[in-house]
Amino acid sequence: MKNVPSFILLAALAALGVWLWFVLSPSPERIIRQRLAKLARTASFSSGEGKLARLAAAEDIAGYFATNVEVDINVPGRVQHTLVGRAEIQQAALGARERLSGLKVQFPDINITVAPDKQSAVADLTVVVNIAGERDSIVQEMKFTFQKTDDGWLIARVETVRTLSSAILRFALHRAPFIVTG
Amino acid sequence: MLPTYQDGSKYFVNRIAYLWREPQRGDVISIRMAGIHEMYLKRIIGLPGETVAFVNGRVLINGEVLDEPYEKLPCDWNLPPEKLGPDQYFVVGDNRSMPSQDHYFGKMDRDRIVGKIIR
Repeated sequence: MKNVPSFILLAALAALGVWLWFVLSPSPERIIRQRLAKLARTASFSSGEGKLARLAAAEDIAGYFATNVEVDINVPGRVQHTLVGRAEIQQAALGARERLSGLKVQFPDINITVAPDKQSAVADLTVVVNIAGERDSIVQEMKFTFQKTDDGWLIARVETVRTLSSAILRFALHRAPFIVTG
Repeated sequence: MLPTYQDGSKYFVNRIAYLWREPQRGDVISIRMAGIHEMYLKRIIGLPGETVAFVNGRVLINGEVLDEPYEKLPCDWNLPPEKLGPDQYFVVGDNRSMPSQDHYFGKMDRDRIVGKIIR
């Protein structure tokens, strides 16, 4: 009975150690989820943003991507957009902030698969974008490929996932009738 | 899914509808994307192994015209025949009055079906 307080203390210390280990060395999946949440917050904005704030936000957004990133977005009837490199991401982010009066980005569903070597990961996710003044949301399934670098986990590739596919859609995308630039 | 289902309305999904039987033609189903927080609402018109085509707005299944009493709006779509795989369904919305390029429809895998819409 004399040892009971010692056991409780040891158990508490062990639990504290496990908790600290999880906090101080989070899994790649947890890091990627946190980065995606921050990216969504940074990409979202409302009206009244100053020019310096816009520039800083666009630079922040570019920092989530690898220098040689490739972004290929095809949302039928809404957007077709291909970007290569951080500079183009930054320009697009700045353009959106200058052109739109508000934007809300959310990733409501995220599935992450980390490669066995833990140097890359794929996030299959749903993107929901609400543009200020527009009634309908843009909802699209996307695939983000992450790479582990000296600067942490960066997005190396973004692709559109075709939840449904048809010959008409493939033809429409090939023909690229809907192009949004900037 | 106009005119059958209205924008902004809420519907329930029966998630156990397909535990004991396979999805049927005409069923309106919810289709998951990366998860179930955002889903598509579409009607099944083609079943696994069938060939689906659109000719002047009429749906052809294995070359036969499909009777679609729920289809009220005018449609002029044309789509070359598409063969479905053993685990694939062809889904489309009821509002086909818009250009086909603006309507999101097509083949999908069985594992994306979340359930059947309850009316």
